[in-house]
Amino acid sequence: MANSTQNLTNERLGSLYRTMQVIRQTEEELARCHQRGLIHGACHTYVGEEAIATGVCSHLNHNDVVFSTHRGHGHALAKGMPPKDLMAELFGRSTGCSQGRGGSMHLFSPEIGMMGTSGIVGPCILQACGGGYSSKILNNGTVAVAFFGDGAANNGAFHEGLNMASIWKLPVLFICENNQYATEVPFSYASGNPSVGNRGSAYGIPGFELNGNDVLEIYRVAGDAVARARAGQGPTLIECKTYRTRAHAEGMGDFTYRTREEVEAWKLNCPIAGLRKSVGVGNYDLARSAELVERFDQIDAEVAELVKEARDYAESSPVPVAETATNHVYGPQLGPVQDPVGPSSRTISFSQATLEALSEEMAINPTIFVMGEGIGKRGGNFVTTKGLYDLYGPERLCDTPICERGFVGLACGAAMTGTRPVIDFMFADFVLDGFGEIVNQIAKMRYMSSGRLKMPVLLRGCIGIGHSAATHHSGSYYGMYGQVPGLRVVVPSSAEDAKGLLKHALRCDDPVLFLEHREILQAKGPVIEGDFEIPFGKGRIVRQGRHVTVVALARMVHLVSSVSDELEREGISVELIDPRTVSPLDTDLILESVHKTGRLLIVDEPPGQYGFSAEIAARVVDEGFNDLDAPIKRLTGAFCPTPYSPSLENVMVPNADQVLAAIRELMSE
Amino acid sequence: MQKITIPRLGWSMEEGKFISWLKKPGDLVSVGEPLFELEGEKSLQEIESVEAGILYIPADAPLPGEIVPVGGLLGYLLEPGESPHSHSQSTPEPAARSFTGHDELAAAVVKANETSLGKSPTEIDRPENLAHLPVASPRARHLAKQFQVDWSSLQGTGRDGRIRESDVQEASGRGAAGRPSNNAKQGLGTISPRRKAIADRLRASRDLTIPVTLTTTIDATELVHLRQRLKHSNPRLVPAYTDIVACLIPWIYKSHPHMAVVWDTQHKGLIPVPHDQIHIGIAVDTPDGLLVPVVQQVGLKSLQTVTQESRKLIEQARTGRLPKTAMQGGVFTITNLGSYGIEAFTPIINLPEIAILGLGAIRREPVVMPDGQIMARDRITLSLSFDHAAVDGAPAASFLRDIAAAMADPAAYILNSVH
Ligand SMILES: Cc1ncc(C[n+]2csc(CCOP(=O)(O)OP(=O)(O)O)c2C)c(N)n1
Repeated sequence: MANSTQNLTNERLGSLYRTMQVIRQTEEELARCHQRGLIHGACHTYVGEEAIATGVCSHLNHNDVVFSTHRGHGHALAKGMPPKDLMAELFGRSTGCSQGRGGSMHLFSPEIGMMGTSGIVGPCILQACGGGYSSKILNNGTVAVAFFGDGAANNGAFHEGLNMASIWKLPVLFICENNQYATEVPFSYASGNPSVGNRGSAYGIPGFELNGNDVLEIYRVAGDAVARARAGQGPTLIECKTYRTRAHAEGMGDFTYRTREEVEAWKLNCPIAGLRKSVGVGNYDLARSAELVERFDQIDAEVAELVKEARDYAESSPVPVAETATNHVYGPQLGPVQDPVGPSSRTISFSQATLEALSEEMAINPTIFVMGEGIGKRGGNFVTTKGLYDLYGPERLCDTPICERGFVGLACGAAMTGTRPVIDFMFADFVLDGFGEIVNQIAKMRYMSSGRLKMPVLLRGCIGIGHSAATHHSGSYYGMYGQVPGLRVVVPSSAEDAKGLLKHALRCDDPVLFLEHREILQAKGPVIEGDFEIPFGKGRIVRQGRHVTVVALARMVHLVSSVSDELEREGISVELIDPRTVSPLDTDLILESVHKTGRLLIVDEPPGQYGFSAEIAARVVDEGFNDLDAPIKRLTGAFCPTPYSPSLENVMVPNADQVLAAIRELMSE
Repeated sequence: MQKITIPRLGWSMEEGKFISWLKKPGDLVSVGEPLFELEGEKSLQEIESVEAGILYIPADAPLPGEIVPVGGLLGYLLEPGESPHSHSQSTPEPAARSFTGHDELAAAVVKANETSLGKSPTEIDRPENLAHLPVASPRARHLAKQFQVDWSSLQGTGRDGRIRESDVQEASGRGAAGRPSNNAKQGLGTISPRRKAIADRLRASRDLTIPVTLTTTIDATELVHLRQRLKHSNPRLVPAYTDIVACLIPWIYKSHPHMAVVWDTQHKGLIPVPHDQIHIGIAVDTPDGLLVPVVQQVGLKSLQTVTQESRKLIEQARTGRLPKTAMQGGVFTITNLGSYGIEAFTPIINLPEIAILGLGAIRREPVVMPDGQIMARDRITLSLSFDHAAVDGAPAASFLRDIAAAMADPAAYILNSVH
């Protein structure tokens, strides 16, 4: 620490000291409050590691973005969050930084670039890449920082994130706080390579290994890294070796995996005491040293007062009103949208319709960018981006490495920081590698930030069984996604619906999963030229009928349609409903139809178990029980992975004969 | 002075076992020093002091081995020179494990569940012996309630005898409109149960009666006038021609006892109809077929009342809500095909009645008046079918002649009965 202090001003030294003290004293008060039972959930303190957040965040302004972990109090405070906002959050009050939705592990203050802490180890690394990508698209010079522990360094997100940041030269700092334990598992045990810093070279980026308790050293190295990032020279990995001197989380035992002596020794290596020591007379002339000591003493007193006020504020703040508990799951409804006024004389395919929608929207919204494998020059495996590369260039049509989790996580961070990513994942099966990012991060982000983060992410790709694609290229999964609050799930069946719904998705501020059945991509239909939107949650009556309601999506709409005439000749009049969106689901339209017919069949391609068909059946029993003149029937795919051989594949999916039989049978119930 | 309380070890800990002090009363304790041992859910832990001070343990503090709730008071850390005076009792603080917001939320959730249920299970009335009831679809049960049909006695036509909507519709006398029958797909002709019931009745009439139809055309100018006048005086309750004619029948019956009869249940003998039992059927065309609701005791009622009642019955018939009982007990029926432009026809006798009167269309025609002048007058043709087995032609003809006369000058009868 010795020489590095001398070129810093007293103000700077004072502000580094102050930030570390704010973190320390705030957390010690939090620990006391936790013991008293005033804090309801987990509380992971940063005591002993304050130098890292302090040294790094000193170089950031409010437009720069920080993505953090479960041990995030220090990052939030260093980024500028007032202690009272943090305390109130841990007390579960409506004045907390996440208005009581988050607690210790979900701290949000996007207004100052504190983009959130996370209860999941790893994703912050990818989200910071997204922050970096937004910086490139928006060209606004901001820098993104990921703080994470040594545990996260062995998570796949680390690998995928560092590689993406490297190849796209993203303005990102990866700050690994190696406190030597992941909960109780020593890093020395969990890692084949004892260094994190030297892994930078594996990704072709600068890597450093620092004393994480030396705030001045961190300040210096982080300063260089931020400057490199702002200059467009790409990311930096900085490992800060440190130690937490309190238990993993408050209330947890500490001496089953480490010794009291080890902890005591690290307490002596306190970063705050270290900074005090470094301004001693050995390094400074007497006058300057005395002035700094006095300044530090004054800071101690001020911070004590600040923390006391923060606690009083937290304790006296109101608790959130229970009625608001489910607010902010979704963004506000967009303004009224016009249904397409048809019919159009022009006939195009489903694929052409979505390409048209994407191209039109990219032309008017420069924040839209597309990521996926082969979606650049190649134009997409399913021609989803054909010709767009030439129009909008490589940054907005960005080919990716094969790292689905990585680029889905990146999309999350990008959406959080002002761009509108379109993730083209080709097959729905592939994006399962990013399922956690979709479900835990993308879908929950708006809510956890109490509505302050918009999440305009469009995730699109193919679903559907057919042409011997076998089990890794044929899943639908929309029932699973339909269970996730915060997501919109769209499954169109016609070209016109596909265009209108995709346009709506590209204007909506919620994450949308847009699933396109591969076997109907070439199906043609009339599609209105130019601008129109189809809102979510409004189903379509594909065919009017009187005797039986059939609900279906995607290819099953075509299948049911194809047998309806035959049934009509038998005297069975089918009303076919395509809800078009799985979430939100147009329950009213289905109920109205069942009110008319008294009978309901759901024909669905994926397995029935716990699925879309089960949900519809449950809702109709719930709200339309008195309208039912027969049991609700489901005709669904087999509960089985999809096999290859046509003879096996054929029996996976409902076919025309089965639909006919199911409807006839339902009529005789 | 700082309180020493039981901390929460782990997320769900509500209480812990106080094991022992690691410091003695009066010891100076510094921050981070182990202060006491506590057994939580998982393990025994040494709890470090979060404050500094001199340990003071009140006399009534928890003893080693006692279970203490989270937040419960163990003792105090005093500043040098501070006395413990007013803090000598250690009733546990309210364990701060839940806060009001939490309870409110829980209450709100519980409340939401309650309102969605509406009633508690015990309030919901269930049929006593559920096991012995037949099975009915929810839609059928709902409809049965609407139509006031007792579905528990019906024979269901659905799978395993399940009672379906169509079964209730039949029982209520309302056809199963728009529903295809199950064997439609085999290409067989079908007939609705409603239609079948009508057919059976008509067939019985053909088999058991000897119908003869008499027709006569009369001057209806006064009838039309009367109706106009009534319309003026109360536009909201305008009688139909059938209502007016129905009100004339009791008057005519008085001088035609041979006509004022019905067959007995064996169809062997004729029963006279007393004046207070003159129930008159009105044939109504409904979406589900011909129905004949019966206006009770017309002989005792004003035209106004008859109009009100018939209107209600017709409405019920047209909407499928006509109770079976409202179609029973008729002694005479009036049927009107005038609105179709029909003049004369052969109405079929509605057993056990012995006669039925058909009303034709009212037309304005040139008529040679008694004084030789030709005038435009309203004319109507009446068609009376009577059962020759019950009565001969002459009495029937004179019955029709008197009806015709009354209809030609209805005011005398009607206005009397109105007031
Ligand atoms: C994906 C995931 N797995 C497991 C956990 C449980 N968990 C919470 S913190 C933690 C240890 C993390 O260690 P590290 O990244 O080194 O951070 P530290 O706690 O040491 O700061 C674990 C395993 C989690 N939150 N997320």
